[in-house]
Amino acid sequence: MRRSRDRVVDKKRRSGNKKRSRAPEPPRRPARDVSAGGGIAESRLPHHPGRDVKKLLEGIGTPPVAVFQPDPFQLEALAALEFEDVLVTAPTGSGKTWIAREEIRRLLDAGRRAWYTTPLKALTNSKYQEFSEEFGAERVGILTGDRKDNTDAQLIVGTTEIYRNQLFDSLRGGSDVNADLVVLDEAHYLGDEDRGHVWEEAIILTPPRIRLLLLSATIGNADEFATWIAELRGVHCGVVTRPGARPVPLRAAMILPDKRLLPLVSDHGKLNPEIARLLEESAKESRPPRSTRRRFY
Amino acid sequence: MKLRMPEMPPATLLGALGAYNLLPAIVFMPTRRRCDQAASEAAAMRRDARDDRREARRDFMREAVEQHPEIRNHRHWDTIIRGGVASHHAGHIPAWKMVIEKLMSAGLLDAIFATATVAAGVDFPARTVVMTVADARTAGGWRQLSASELQQMTGRAGRRGRDNVGFVIVAPGLHQDPQRIAELLKAQPDPLISQFRATYTTLLNLLDAFGNFAQVRAIAEKSFAHREAALQITQLEKLYDEAKQRIELQLKAAGCDLPLSVVIGFERLVSARTRLQETRPQTRAEVVHRWLDEVVQPGRVVGIGRSGRRLVLITEKRAGNVRGIREDGRSASFALERIGRVYAPVYRQSDEFVEEAFADVRQRGKELLLPEPRLRDAQGEEGDAISALDDRIESILPVALAAEDKLRCTQALWTVFSDAEALERATRRSERLRAEVWEPFHRRARVLATFGYLDFDAEKITERGRWLADLHVDRPLLVGEALEAGLFKALEFHRLAGVMAALTADEEREYGPLELEDSLLNALSQFDETGFKVATEEWKLGIEPSPELNFSAAAAAARWATGAEWSELVRETGAEEGDLFRMLSRTGEALLQIAGLRHAHPDAARVAAVAADAVLREPVR
Repeated sequence: MRRSRDRVVDKKRRSGNKKRSRAPEPPRRPARDVSAGGGIAESRLPHHPGRDVKKLLEGIGTPPVAVFQPDPFQLEALAALEFEDVLVTAPTGSGKTWIAREEIRRLLDAGRRAWYTTPLKALTNSKYQEFSEEFGAERVGILTGDRKDNTDAQLIVGTTEIYRNQLFDSLRGGSDVNADLVVLDEAHYLGDEDRGHVWEEAIILTPPRIRLLLLSATIGNADEFATWIAELRGVHCGVVTRPGARPVPLRAAMILPDKRLLPLVSDHGKLNPEIARLLEESAKESRPPRSTRRRFY
Repeated sequence: MKLRMPEMPPATLLGALGAYNLLPAIVFMPTRRRCDQAASEAAAMRRDARDDRREARRDFMREAVEQHPEIRNHRHWDTIIRGGVASHHAGHIPAWKMVIEKLMSAGLLDAIFATATVAAGVDFPARTVVMTVADARTAGGWRQLSASELQQMTGRAGRRGRDNVGFVIVAPGLHQDPQRIAELLKAQPDPLISQFRATYTTLLNLLDAFGNFAQVRAIAEKSFAHREAALQITQLEKLYDEAKQRIELQLKAAGCDLPLSVVIGFERLVSARTRLQETRPQTRAEVVHRWLDEVVQPGRVVGIGRSGRRLVLITEKRAGNVRGIREDGRSASFALERIGRVYAPVYRQSDEFVEEAFADVRQRGKELLLPEPRLRDAQGEEGDAISALDDRIESILPVALAAEDKLRCTQALWTVFSDAEALERATRRSERLRAEVWEPFHRRARVLATFGYLDFDAEKITERGRWLADLHVDRPLLVGEALEAGLFKALEFHRLAGVMAALTADEEREYGPLELEDSLLNALSQFDETGFKVATEEWKLGIEPSPELNFSAAAAAARWATGAEWSELVRETGAEEGDLFRMLSRTGEALLQIAGLRHAHPDAARVAAVAADAVLREPVR
């Protein structure tokens, strides 16, 4: 981190003053979103909410509109990319794409090239559109099983299979994978039963001179995964995780048929005793309660 | 433990969530049908409620139709505009799903009823995620959600910049399990597990790139799957070195200048002798059991009981038990010991061949019978083997050695015996670990060699192998063989589309009741015949059988390729739009792959190019 402080400051400045920089989840609020806003409609509730429900719902609503500030983990990832491969693990929606976008912007501005792979054609199409708007259509190309546009562009968006096939071709002497950075979006697809092997082949066959940025959902063995990548490529692979994992805190509750809301767990992290009691009662009954609802199972 | 409670009607659920200010929400449902039903039902109940976003939704949808005309007549149109709710799952076409995602991001929907597949797809969060069940539906039935799956789902709760807090709400149901959901929420995410495997495409490409098996093997050994094994191998190599050092020191101390190979040879011979002695069969039952275990295999017909008159075609064997099909067509399961007779031929196990197999056995039973071994023969054979080993153990020391040296060195060999065992164990285990990753490639190389795509001894791919390496389709070997047999170039383009659809479609999925015309059926059975040839070679080398062709997909794709309207196709097949879309899109991609073989198979490539054009038209792009 220390070695790259200048870069971080630079990034902050850059992202603050350009309209092109966008937050992963733009904090705009739809004008007519009736569900937005704070507080609960006590008058509409079937029961007077108890203290635990009030506590559960405390703070619900929309935060004040804020100027987008990159998270420290995003800046950390960008800084690390200058020196090494990076594996970012964070849940969807926490701003992994922002990291890729800023790094790609830096490369394109320097006249260099990048590949961005996704597991799904739908994702590829939407990233292609997003990046075309961001960087200009002439700088972005797309490659999928049935779509080839602007394939000499500085940035190629495509499916991981096509990228892997290009690696095969380049190894067999047909062409060169002309990229300085490869972003593997949804890198946890490596664990997909049918297609996971393609991700593994892509990682193994990408020449070490090309920087790898892997964006993954949270996984249990990120360090082991990164160590493997580092060992086989001979380039250190940093792991960047969003501390606290979630960008927005999560609370859990159970809603009962009478519309009462119960916190799912008590303060000690155990199952709410009231739910536990319901479970016991349910277990005692020999037959499930008659339901007026259809049964689908 | 399940918490059995009546399920809340979707409108009631949304009403309650609304009162707590918990909307918009993504309500996860176990099946596609339930998503559709819940959305329609909720919309019907909420239709008259005041909602000033209704007009905004209408405008939004009108705009969307201009871009994607195929959504114009969508049956959920009204659900969205009037009810402000939608269903979202893999049964819908991508354009429709995208419109819903955009409506949701624009804050115009109160709820989406979705299957878990949404969690893996495009990003569209809500304030609240509702879990109606703690299980996931798979092709094989129900199973519990994993921690990672639940985290993917709850990852949609709480919109960055738009929510201070996100919520996961456990809704009541007959199969709800709040305890398990509470545990999963706390659980560590699942580790990423390697799915590395050998494929023909990878093997051909890597072999062509590197020119020898050793380097392909080196690549395979770099896999994440092999990492664990590689660490163990390093440990084993250390053990090997240590044992070797101890052996050398002890031999030196005894004054025996013997090479390591003699020590290893001695260990192997003595161990082999011990094993033989231990496993020498003592009873007739043992001999028979061992023989049955060896000869009974799927595809063979056996006779049950001492008389052996009741015939069964074996379909499965596992741990001393077998399953099979009886002559009356019913299935049977019994212990290996009950088998009295085994017939030599190995038959194909599919239904059509069952009768043929039984008829064959009834007719030529005597000549097909495998002879049962006798105890005396079995013991005699092994006794001979033991004395042969004794001779070799005697003569393992160099002949030139003097008698007293011989005695001393034999003693020394026994002294280092346990170290030699350790050394051999380490070697064997690391060889086994290394073989695990390479063996599947080795088998596939053998199969490719059989069909002439690869020269096994020269470690090179052939001219044929070169184009097969470029053919990125499911089951490339089958497609390659069909091309070689001239099957494709003789087909009309829409029939080729049908054949490729049968190959690329999900095996289990139904694409409707369209009838197959005779020439398409003919093409499919020729293709199936080629598939059988390939599968037989694969089976000989222990490669798992490939999925069956999907004939209903073939009919739907051929219909589409001949120019049917999208709405016609959807109506006639009765299949879900999303399924048709995915199947046709993948079929189109496969056709484009064949169309790329302009040099190796120009005629087939031409037909495939026409077929690809016919398949990849709006809305399948």
